Amino acid sequence: MEEKAIVVQNLVKQYPKVRAVDDVSFSVDKGEIFGLLGPNGAGKTTTIRVLLTLIPPTSGETLIYNINTAKNSEDVRRICGYVPQDVSADGDLTSYENVLISAKLYGMPPKERKQRIQEVLNFLELTDRENDMVNTFSGGMMRRLEIAQALVNRPKVLFLDEPSIGLDPNARRIIWGLIKKLRDEFNTTIMMTTHDMGEADELCDRIGIMNRGHLATLGKPAELKAAVGGDIITINSSNPGCFQKLKEMGYSTIANSPDGHCDLVVNNGETLIPQLLEGLKSRGVMVESVSLKKPTLDDVFLKYTGARIEEGDTFAETRRARRAFTRRS
Amino acid sequence: MRVLSEVRKYFANAFIIAELELRKIRHDQTQIWVRMVQPALWLAIYGLTMSKISAMTAYIPKNLTYLQFMTPGVLAQSALFVAIFFGINVVWERDLGLLNKLLSTPASRSSIILGKALSAGVRGIFQAVAVIILALILRVHLIMNPLSLLGVFVIIILLSMCFACLSMAIASLVKTRERMMGIGQVITMPLFFASSAIYPLAIMPSWIKPIAIINPLTYVVDAMRDLLATGNLSSLPLDFLVITAATILFLVLASLGLKKMVS
Repeated sequence: MEEKAIVVQNLVKQYPKVRAVDDVSFSVDKGEIFGLLGPNGAGKTTTIRVLLTLIPPTSGETLIYNINTAKNSEDVRRICGYVPQDVSADGDLTSYENVLISAKLYGMPPKERKQRIQEVLNFLELTDRENDMVNTFSGGMMRRLEIAQALVNRPKVLFLDEPSIGLDPNARRIIWGLIKKLRDEFNTTIMMTTHDMGEADELCDRIGIMNRGHLATLGKPAELKAAVGGDIITINSSNPGCFQKLKEMGYSTIANSPDGHCDLVVNNGETLIPQLLEGLKSRGVMVESVSLKKPTLDDVFLKYTGARIEEGDTFAETRRARRAFTRRS
Repeated sequence: MRVLSEVRKYFANAFIIAELELRKIRHDQTQIWVRMVQPALWLAIYGLTMSKISAMTAYIPKNLTYLQFMTPGVLAQSALFVAIFFGINVVWERDLGLLNKLLSTPASRSSIILGKALSAGVRGIFQAVAVIILALILRVHLIMNPLSLLGVFVIIILLSMCFACLSMAIASLVKTRERMMGIGQVITMPLFFASSAIYPLAIMPSWIKPIAIINPLTYVVDAMRDLLATGNLSSLPLDFLVITAATILFLVLASLGLKKMVS
């Protein structure tokens, strides 16, 4: 069997009050862009922290390029790069200095250093700003600089935590382009977390959705979307019996539909709508509006995590996410 | 050989983190100037006033003016006040996720702590230079030979490291900036007053003397006073020993605490 870039086997992380990660197993191929999705508190960040050797696992095993993260943590850190969600470039230094400090901490020999830093700044199109103070940078430039810091060591595995949070659509496109280029040109394995389903769909080869410490599902975006079961018809009706009547007609509605909306999962929704309306009318249900939606990753996300996206957020996490947002934009 | 290269790497990483601090100071010196205000007040107002009180001057070593006696104390104070709030930076960096980023580099935890402590030392040195210049402007007579100045700088670095490590160790327990601010306030003044920084041990209330004796700051002040004012170096080895031991102890505690801080 070919060696994997990342292997997570029966990973458990138990905190005094919560089981943050509960028996999670998956693996990531070399050169793959892997997205870890899920509501806050689902265990994504904990999983990444274990992989980055920041915290030890309670049980289970994690390997990066066949190196055990708990046993040989320094060797693992040497081949990984990490871009945290928050602004992590130092505003009181120039961009060159920021990358220089990273290069030094990764133990790069002085001879190679200068050339490598130039290369990476060039790759991220920051060369003309290399001697400017970082606190004058826009959110997108800051993000690029942070990626430059993580790349200067040419990591085999790059961890990106919410790479485009708080960026405007333009800056976001640029970051996406860079991530793809990185994989295509250097075959870097990329593991990212995101709340932006569009981003996950655009970038990720495979996606794992976590919920309450478990890995709820895993697969290619196209497969996952197909598995949600085709098209979704949403029927808006103030008539309380709508839900029941649909059941009588032999349609199953998906879970967690808020009141007044009934979501049906069907194939060939376009042709089904007239039939459906006819059926409801004959059973005395007044329909106010109907909409048809082709499945997106949002639906996959909702299916596996429920509609309670906000529930898992702790105060600290919410504060962090909002601050990250305002600081970038 | 492997051990040797590990040790070299350990210190190299610590120096890189201190270099980062030095570069920051180079870009923005305002903090250095702002922080000069307090020692200036201590020397110019408190010092000049107290030197008129004969009870105070009666107890300090002969041939020393009160300002000569006090300048090493103010030196210690200026570095102490910077160092004791150092844990706040670490909590801040933890909240921002910066600490995780630093910890995800190959540098070991304790080399990161040592590096942070050295950063406090770097700031302390700038502070010390400012206080010495201030003292010279006030015409305080200090021993200015290069060796004793070198000794003073070494002491200042150790002092800053010692209390920065203490501060970081506490930060790993309290975990919020607000609490850290409060605790910093609570411990600086007792440390400062229960030492020989601004008055001789002999005139302290007797119950406070045992505290002064276990207070590393007492030894710091004593060493600097020997180097800058009296020129009598007999107790210097003991002073160095105590300060170094305290620094290593707090360094170990802070390194252990760092583990708690990220999990």
